[in-house]
Amino acid sequence: MIAELLQYKFITNSLLAGILASVSCGIIGTYIVTRRMVFLSGGITHASFGGIGIGYFFGFNPIFSAAIFGILSALGIEFVSKKTEIREDSVIGILWSFGMALGIMFVFLTPGYVPNLMSYLFGSILTVSSFDIWLMVCLSLVLIIFFVLFYRIILFISYDQEYAKTHNISVGLFNYLLMALVALTIVLNIKIVGIILVISLLTIPQSIANLFTKDFKNIILISIVIGLIGAFMGLIISYKINIPSGASIIFSLVMIFIVAKSIQVIKRKFNLKNRNFNLK
Amino acid sequence: MSKIVEIQSVFAGYNDEIILKDVSIDIFDDDFIGIIGPNGGGKTTLLNVILGLIKPFKGNVRFYDDLKSKRNNKIGYLPQQNKIDKNFPITVNDVILSGLIYGSGMISRHSKIDKQKAKDTLKRIGISDLGKHAIGELSGGQMQKVLLARAIISSPRLLILDEPNTFVDNQFEGELYEILNELNKEMSIIIVTHDVGTISSYVKTIACVNRTLHYHKSNVITEEQLASYNCPIKLITHGEIPHTVLKKHNH
Repeated sequence: MIAELLQYKFITNSLLAGILASVSCGIIGTYIVTRRMVFLSGGITHASFGGIGIGYFFGFNPIFSAAIFGILSALGIEFVSKKTEIREDSVIGILWSFGMALGIMFVFLTPGYVPNLMSYLFGSILTVSSFDIWLMVCLSLVLIIFFVLFYRIILFISYDQEYAKTHNISVGLFNYLLMALVALTIVLNIKIVGIILVISLLTIPQSIANLFTKDFKNIILISIVIGLIGAFMGLIISYKINIPSGASIIFSLVMIFIVAKSIQVIKRKFNLKNRNFNLK
Repeated sequence: MSKIVEIQSVFAGYNDEIILKDVSIDIFDDDFIGIIGPNGGGKTTLLNVILGLIKPFKGNVRFYDDLKSKRNNKIGYLPQQNKIDKNFPITVNDVILSGLIYGSGMISRHSKIDKQKAKDTLKRIGISDLGKHAIGELSGGQMQKVLLARAIISSPRLLILDEPNTFVDNQFEGELYEILNELNKEMSIIIVTHDVGTISSYVKTIACVNRTLHYHKSNVITEEQLASYNCPIKLITHGEIPHTVLKKHNH
């Protein structure tokens, strides 16, 4: 079956997209989860729909307007919550719905048929273009280089911002840079699983990895591997029963989570039993 | 005995609110100062001024010797434990090594010398066996020791501790003060605490911060300092057998 599938260009593209999504989401997702920024990421995701609507209306690639929109709202949230009295989660709530509202308005104002709208909402790894792949390659490279060069500082800031400030580290600059990378990662992965599901690519692999390790670096590495497995499983399911790939990928990841958690529980019970036995 | 920090008629606070008014204090390299005072009185604000986390509205903060150029690496800091996420996936070794990072350079690996320093510091604090553990597995006291190790790994001239005796039991508190006494031979120490009782028997001097600063160069708590409290506090007397007296609650 595999050899037969690989003959199609769209299948190799979607495999590549799956690999690249696992890498970028594995890295950025670990940052999001450990810093408890999941709600914020949900806000950025939905806000970027405003950019998609604007892109359709003015007739250019929605990825670009979504990226600009996503980055601006991410930086906006960071700025408003740091510099003003408004609570961060309220800012997120406002931007979350405002972006969606703008998106809906522009999509409806766009005359005629709106192509691929469903793929932005629910994701379609099978329609990923070579151009999308190139964008994802660039993003993954930027993320890998950034995290390798500044790993210690990112870890340090994520763990204890205030302490990092006392050590003369540009905490503000790093926060903004990482926020922009979070937004870019979200927007470029929207094509794969859709706006509604992208948050799970950034959280489920990390939650599974966190069952096995309590080390930031290892969570990144294990998340990437789990993301890969989930993407391949999801692709096969999607191809076999003809459903949107986003849904099948998330379904696969949750199944992996359940299996991993069960194994952990059983293992603990088993260890406990053995220990009791030894005590006798 | 030489001066390392000089704070001169400083006004400081957050946003528009002035918390500290006209505060002056000189810190010397062999000091062991206990800072007491009511909640919201500005203890942490004063620490933030010294650490450079907030800029004073008015007044001067001057540093001397090597604190002048590499100030932040020469001041060790132990923050309040409740400011830290206990479930963050990081090992004890990584926490302690972060105390050596200074400035936003590209460091993805620590040198052998750094790792040896981490090992020595762990040993000194008495937690050699914890290096590879994740911080989530530690007790309150162990966590406090890890944070202390992070604060002293860079061999600071001044060590600042913000309520290190919360979340820990009495036994740990004793151990902590023993370690601090030892460290005081190499560095100046400022400790903020709620626990007025035990602190006065360990520190050399006591400063009371309640919007303004009362600093007498002795470790005897004066009536004036106590008057700034409106809540019950533990009082210790300097008799043959130290005993604890609970002051009456007025409100």
